[in-house]
Amino acid sequence: MKKLLKLVAILGVVASITSGCAVNRATGSVDPSADLSALKTMYVKRIPEETGGTNVLIADKLRSKGIVVTTGTEPPPSNVDAVVTYIDRWMWDITMYMLELTITIRDPKTDFPLATGNSFHTSLTRLSPQEMVNEVVDNIYKGSK
Amino acid sequence: MRRPVTRHKLFLAASALVVTLTGCSSPASREGMIPPDLAIGTHFPHSLGIQTGGGASTGAMDTSNISDEDLKAAIEEAVIQNKLFKSIVQGKGGDYELSVRLTTLSKPIFGGTVSVEMEMAWSLTKAADRSVVMRKSVKSSASKTMGDAFAFVTRLRLAVEAATRDNIGQGLKAIAELKL
Repeated sequence: MKKLLKLVAILGVVASITSGCAVNRATGSVDPSADLSALKTMYVKRIPEETGGTNVLIADKLRSKGIVVTTGTEPPPSNVDAVVTYIDRWMWDITMYMLELTITIRDPKTDFPLATGNSFHTSLTRLSPQEMVNEVVDNIYKGSK
Repeated sequence: MRRPVTRHKLFLAASALVVTLTGCSSPASREGMIPPDLAIGTHFPHSLGIQTGGGASTGAMDTSNISDEDLKAAIEEAVIQNKLFKSIVQGKGGDYELSVRLTTLSKPIFGGTVSVEMEMAWSLTKAADRSVVMRKSVKSSASKTMGDAFAFVTRLRLAVEAATRDNIGQGLKAIAELKL
């Protein structure tokens, strides 16, 4: 009985602070008033603390769509059509893997999100950072006019 | 003589209790996302169509998400309750078209105090000439502690709903300041 209670107590604590398991999710949406095909130059704003090279992957993927892309941590150039921001979340499960990636294409003057894409894959169905970037950017452009 | 409880039975009993305590994650409810009275004094004599995007359904093992349908329903109800527009139309045909897209929703996957941060893109277009009347990024956040709910999944859902209520409130107040 004591063993059962101890096990229940441990699992109860775990249950109270943790949540789900295997999840896959990918979304993309574009503002109805936005025309992504008109955006020819973009600046990918790198997160200063981020060292995984996600910004380079995003820039390369956008270049594959014929867009002229620069990237860095400085303020964006004044003449770009859009600024791209991203949030990447990493988790550890035997090795580090990218859990979630959100990419947002923004109006450089107002910071308004013109388009957004999100990819979420837990450990059992993890994707490489390259695959996550490809999925998000492709979903964004699928939703455009 | 009593038979000792086997490890197998102990594990089953403990698992059953864990499932009871944890439950399955539930999506943010449309009722929970409707902001309380916003005290908006503006009442536009126009009709409004609403479309939402960027949301996601909540799987059994997922954390609380916001579905496009529930977000749309919550915004529609808030507009109706506050009489911000004369009427809501479904699909096309409204004098104005409001697009609300969930851009980012940052949620923890474990923790005692659950803090959620959200950004939504609000854009209002005049249907007659497709002119963009308003484009605004609205950010909101909310935190829930173990005093609000014991189970993590419940705290997370409550935090998501609270952040959404705040976001919808900010968005509608911004629209109320326009001259339409």
